[in-house]
Amino acid sequence: MSYVIEARGLVRRYPADGSPIRAVDGVDLVVEAGEAVSVMGPSGCGKSTLLHLLGGLERPDEGELRLGGVRVDGLSETRWAVFRRRNVGFVFQAFHLVDELTAVENVELPALLVGMGRREARHRALELLERLGVAERAGHLPDHLSGGERQRVAVARALVNEPLIVLADEPTGNLDSRATGEILRLFGELHKAGQAVLVVTHDARVASTADRLFTMRDGAIVGQTRLGADTPVAGLFADLADLGSER
Amino acid sequence: MRWSAMGAGARLAARNLRHRPGQALLLLVTLTIATGVLGVAMSLYGSADAAWDRVWRATGGFDVGVGVYHGPDQPGDRALVAELRRRAVQLARAPGVAEVSGPSNSLSGSIRIRGGTEDLSAEVVDPNTADTPLVTSGRWLGDGGGIVLESGLAAAVGASPGDTVTIQGRPFPVRGVAMTAAGRYPLYRPAQIWVTPQTAAAMRDLGMREDGFALAIRLVDPNQAEAFIATHQEFEVSDPSSSVTSFLETAQQRRAASHSDLDGMTDTLFAAGILIAILTVATASVLVAGRMAARIRQVGTLKAVGVTPRQVALVLLVEHLAIAVVATTIGLGIGRLLAPAIAGTSVSLLGRPEPPPLTWSRIGAVAAVAFAVVLLGTVRPALRGIRQSTLRSLDAGPRPPRRPGRLAGLAARAGVPVPGVLGLRSAWRRPGRLLTNATGLALGVAVIVVALGLRESLDLLQLRPTEPGQATADAAVAALYDQIRGIIFATGGLLLLLAAINAWIVATLAARDAARNQAVMRAVGATPRQTVTSLVVSQLVACAIAVVAGIPLGLGLWSVIDGGDLPPVRVPATSLVLLAAAVPIAFAALVSVPARLLARRPIAPLLTYE
Amino acid sequence: MRDVILSLLAKEPAHGYELRQRLMRALGPAGGELNPGQVYVTLSRLERAGLVEASEVAQPSYPDKKVYDLTAAGRERVTRWLADVTWSKVAPLEFHLKLFAAADTGLADPVALVDAQRLELLRELRQLQELALREPPDSDGALLLEGASLRLQADVRWLEACQQHFLERESR
Repeated sequence: MSYVIEARGLVRRYPADGSPIRAVDGVDLVVEAGEAVSVMGPSGCGKSTLLHLLGGLERPDEGELRLGGVRVDGLSETRWAVFRRRNVGFVFQAFHLVDELTAVENVELPALLVGMGRREARHRALELLERLGVAERAGHLPDHLSGGERQRVAVARALVNEPLIVLADEPTGNLDSRATGEILRLFGELHKAGQAVLVVTHDARVASTADRLFTMRDGAIVGQTRLGADTPVAGLFADLADLGSER
Repeated sequence: MRWSAMGAGARLAARNLRHRPGQALLLLVTLTIATGVLGVAMSLYGSADAAWDRVWRATGGFDVGVGVYHGPDQPGDRALVAELRRRAVQLARAPGVAEVSGPSNSLSGSIRIRGGTEDLSAEVVDPNTADTPLVTSGRWLGDGGGIVLESGLAAAVGASPGDTVTIQGRPFPVRGVAMTAAGRYPLYRPAQIWVTPQTAAAMRDLGMREDGFALAIRLVDPNQAEAFIATHQEFEVSDPSSSVTSFLETAQQRRAASHSDLDGMTDTLFAAGILIAILTVATASVLVAGRMAARIRQVGTLKAVGVTPRQVALVLLVEHLAIAVVATTIGLGIGRLLAPAIAGTSVSLLGRPEPPPLTWSRIGAVAAVAFAVVLLGTVRPALRGIRQSTLRSLDAGPRPPRRPGRLAGLAARAGVPVPGVLGLRSAWRRPGRLLTNATGLALGVAVIVVALGLRESLDLLQLRPTEPGQATADAAVAALYDQIRGIIFATGGLLLLLAAINAWIVATLAARDAARNQAVMRAVGATPRQTVTSLVVSQLVACAIAVVAGIPLGLGLWSVIDGGDLPPVRVPATSLVLLAAAVPIAFAALVSVPARLLARRPIAPLLTYE
Repeated sequence: MRDVILSLLAKEPAHGYELRQRLMRALGPAGGELNPGQVYVTLSRLERAGLVEASEVAQPSYPDKKVYDLTAAGRERVTRWLADVTWSKVAPLEFHLKLFAAADTGLADPVALVDAQRLELLRELRQLQELALREPPDSDGALLLEGASLRLQADVRWLEACQQHFLERESR
């Protein structure tokens, strides 16, 4: 069985005055099919860089990376682009929709790039927008959408080619609590549907939706835990009995 | 406006100029090309005057010239000519006349030049007259026979004193070469020689015929020359039935008419300079828009410090006016340097060319153009920049589109691949920039059309069978047109260069604006080549508009230029079709370079910030 | 609990079962933790305190049921309760003191304590998340769950700050 993501010894350096900084310092990471994984850590710990490396937006200086069993760390820009359009879906903190395209056009873009027929791509895009609850905003430009709506369009775009993995970088960073809740619900449903997701975040609410949680500090992974749903946590609302009894 | 704030603004301007010297330099260079061409025109105009004046003074300095000529004998003519001769004698005694030289008769015949013959006019002079043309080599007429050639003729024949020339089939010895203020062969025709009455008699025997006479008048008050001519209008005869022509002209008029080749060059350069200036407006506004975009972010911070956007705009304007002043100075300097070299190619010079002193009006003309370019090119983008800054200081991107484009939708339905559709969409995001880019390119295309027409007509001129007696003259005229053609092609080349620079800058700025969108596309799986395609397509929209508008514009310009001495000519359709095909291809190739350079940027940093 | 029940009666008189229904609706999934007899116990306490009064209502073929209503004193107390802005305790006193006790006595590693607590909170967050998935998005119950999650999120952030604090202390 091949992992969805298999990273060994990833290193990414940046030049700085003096010796270069290691933004990602020897990371090993695997993600299995259908798994939801979170990477948490303080600002500057390298989690965003790690995400970029996993999706080919940046190249590792050392290490190996395999997605779906395919060795990708040495691919050229063009090869990466072709691989990415079919196998990787991105969701960004800043949404990053193309301003000039309407919501549905943004969503169908990866499908068109893959070579899907125009009609089929449009149909699939509308379907996804429907599923994510933003179908009536399909013909609007991103400028006219709220933050939550934009992010949902971005998620739809990430899903349109049924990718191996969805990589999300602080997906709720620019959203208010209500919209965050909606995205969390969305990610929960994706997980149930069996989509592998890797989320980089410093929001505990988002991180807790994962099966496995990695903690990063200073470019390295310093901890890994399972957050399985097996043991129910009792007494979430134990205070209920004490309601009013302080008086 | 408080001076302390102005001081802060000035320091900011100075710092900005140092911080981003590239764009200011580019503006300076393009503006200097325009002022340089205009400067050459300014220094060329009248650069033959000094030499002419010298010859004029040395030959007696006539104020009014009188001439009467007639064709081969016709019965009515002889009486008329006799009448005019009588009037000329009276003219010599008219009030205001100080001195008269002549009337001197002239004979017409033919001289052998380079295998062909050329019309010749021999002026019969008494060797002992005081006022003689300026002898430049050999001797003036005197005992011992011989003729004196006009210097242009001598150069054309290749004769020096001691050689012989063949006139009416007989050899005649050349005694000397002289210059006259009347003009220089081949611009001044027919070719001129001076002969003694004895030689004239011999020439008459050879078949040369009397064809008229000339008179040179010096007035008591030279300033009355025009008034004098006005008073004696009866001397000017124009009877279409007869072959007699008579005229009066002032020295100034003669001088003005005797350097038509230089005038042609000056006019061409001036027109070209204006065209280049117009193109520079387009370039300037694109550059300024780019600088303003960079500054808009600053304006928010500046407001906190207490500098108003209006002050920023003023500082920007002052910066650019300073650039205009520098460009004017350099341009005039270039003019001063280059003009003598260009004027030296003229065949009508009577000596070394001397650029006339720079009067304030000449300086002012060039400066006015430079300032106009800066104002037109700076004001609109600056104003827009200020307005934008009041709306959104920090978010300095182009205004997002209000409605999704329809043309792009059509293209998508037609099956145009995705990068092409995206390119079409982004073309319409900035209609102002699209228009200026298209205008600049259209001018370039128009100039190419004019050049094509010119080449056609000059080729035709070459093919025309030469009339007997006109061989060298035609060759000289052709040489003249070659000069003008050279100038037109050179300035056309400059225009094309500017248009190319413009296109490059616009493409670079467009690529920068599109950076985030392109990063998003690449994150979603578009290859770098696809992003290059989309950028090139977006630029090609302006090119298409330019070709569609520029070819008719060029044809229109050509029909204005056409006429005059050049045979009427149509620009061949096949050339136009080739042009319409070649321009977009060349443009796409040019524009793809900055697109490609910028397409290889790393994606991640572009996606980190909003 | 007393004020809550009082307020539920403010609109109209009701009997115990109805009150319990209303309360369960408002609590959503949290209602599962509610002790079934809690409501009735509270009602009798309130009656003894003179804040509610009970009346018997006859029912055909069913035993009489007790219907409760607010007294004037009760009504006044509800108004005061609604206007009161006291918030439940905010500072995580106990854990804070636990950390410093561990650091001083050396009985446990503060960083490890934080890690363990954080894990526990994340597990609770996950539970809340799953409960939230089962609720319709705009329901009253979902709102309560959101409140609970946000508090836990805040607590996790604070725990991360604690970790940072003790890590820096160690490196000095």
